[in-house]
Amino acid sequence: MPENGHIKQLLAEIALHDSQVAYKQLFLLLHKPLCRFAWSILKSNDDAQEVVSDVFIGIWEKRHRLTSIESPLLYFYTSVKNHSLNRIAREKKRQQTVAPEEWFVQLNSVYFDPEKLMMTDEIIRQVKQAIYDLPPRCRLVFKLVKEDGLKYREVAELLQLSAKTVEAQMAIALRRIGKCMHLDITTRHPNSSIKK
Amino acid sequence: MSQERFWTLLSKKLSGEASDEELEELERLIHQHPEWQYAIPNLEDLWNLQSPAARAEDEEDAYMLHLHRMQEKGIPFGEEPVLYPAEANFFHHKKRNNRKWWLAAAAIVIAIMAGFFLIQQPDKKAGSIDTVATQLNEISTKPGSKSKVQLPDGSIVWLNAGSKLTYDKQFGNALREVILKGEGFFDVVKMPDKPFIIHTTAIDIKVLGTTFNVKAYPDEATETSLIKGRIEVFIKGRPMDKIILSPNEKLVVKNTSLSAKEANASVSSEPDIAINKLKYYNAEDSTMAETGWIENKLVFTDESYEEVIVKMERWYGVKIEIQNEQLKRKRFTGIFKNENIDQALEALMIAIPFRYEKMSDKIIIHQ
Repeated sequence: MPENGHIKQLLAEIALHDSQVAYKQLFLLLHKPLCRFAWSILKSNDDAQEVVSDVFIGIWEKRHRLTSIESPLLYFYTSVKNHSLNRIAREKKRQQTVAPEEWFVQLNSVYFDPEKLMMTDEIIRQVKQAIYDLPPRCRLVFKLVKEDGLKYREVAELLQLSAKTVEAQMAIALRRIGKCMHLDITTRHPNSSIKK
Repeated sequence: MSQERFWTLLSKKLSGEASDEELEELERLIHQHPEWQYAIPNLEDLWNLQSPAARAEDEEDAYMLHLHRMQEKGIPFGEEPVLYPAEANFFHHKKRNNRKWWLAAAAIVIAIMAGFFLIQQPDKKAGSIDTVATQLNEISTKPGSKSKVQLPDGSIVWLNAGSKLTYDKQFGNALREVILKGEGFFDVVKMPDKPFIIHTTAIDIKVLGTTFNVKAYPDEATETSLIKGRIEVFIKGRPMDKIILSPNEKLVVKNTSLSAKEANASVSSEPDIAINKLKYYNAEDSTMAETGWIENKLVFTDESYEEVIVKMERWYGVKIEIQNEQLKRKRFTGIFKNENIDQALEALMIAIPFRYEKMSDKIIIHQ
């Protein structure tokens, strides 16, 4: 998973030495996750790839200023978000913006290799359903944190939410998923009262 | 006690956002409500599930298309390091309608990263190209030919086959900067107040006055061999290091070539480097293997046939293909001075027999 530390290293090389090797490495590292993110807004593969390519062009053109970026992941995701929303506004020719609730968020990691999980098929099915049933914004927050590796405050900044909201959304997501695993319990502690 | 706090703390823990106090609080909650932790192992497993990695091929293709798109938009990005301010645009192209360009680009196989393209002299091509930056001087040699150049300061450069030397009209003002692709032997006039700097893709070399060889072909390791004097080498990607070579030393920098898998796994993007002694192929004659080409000798010292063929391709300007994998790995030592391509192939056949076929545009070697 892309990590801010590694990315900053690459950005330094690009900024200070015009390193095309580092630029390519950065591209290979971030291209797919950023495309998925763009896709969730644009719902088109071609458009998503163009937007990400535009963002990377911007990275090259502004390369000498890259070392001052505090949170590279946030910077890239925000850039992709803005490019995507601008594109929609342009294409629809009206000031229509797509709210995060309408972004078609797909979590990939959960659908990949569930055999690695020590859970019955039934539980896995329930987990997938629970994720699918998450409210859109909740699912988006969960994906950005779990799969894309953004920090809570980066997600807050990206989606214009408060840090507390992000915290709460994550708690909701985890609780709903955790509830599916209830069925694993064969015995219950007699003195417990599990409150929701 | 509401379980809400438990979920908040647990999600923070999984995502690495929990402070030490919060982790302690979580422990205490679990201690008080042991039944709450039933889901934790499974949630941890779930959390650690990675997304499927992007296929390296697909991402390489995507990168190539991206480069092509940058080129179409006239954004300077080639194999040459940049001498000029980043904002300067060399070419003004009409912005194409890029609606269907992805589909078109996919059908075009353009080797952007391999090899290089010759840039036209700016003043020779009026109309379609509008240069904003300073003028470029370029000398390039095709495969099969060598060339000797004198720079404005009196320094001499011998360019080996398939090479290109670039410098602009600022050369000699405060600095003496050139860009080299391929191989060149430099005899640099000493000017302490005007450092002579050679840019290649992998390294920069700073010189005061000296003779040395630089070999920087794309897709090969970069080598610089010092004959006389002293040079300082700066490796791109290792800004802290400066390597000083003494005479009879050679620096080899392997360019890294990356796949998406390596990019995710490795932390360091530094190239491999090694400092070796120069090879002498003839103890009495102190000419070195690395610079034999200046005297019109093609020298091989224990090199694989595959490497030999690459050198011969450039030297003779002809495309050669080895179709036998075992043959590629055999080693060869020898010198070609005045041999033509047929005689050279005969010489190679004495060591290890093979058959070859001359076609109109290339030579094929079988066993």
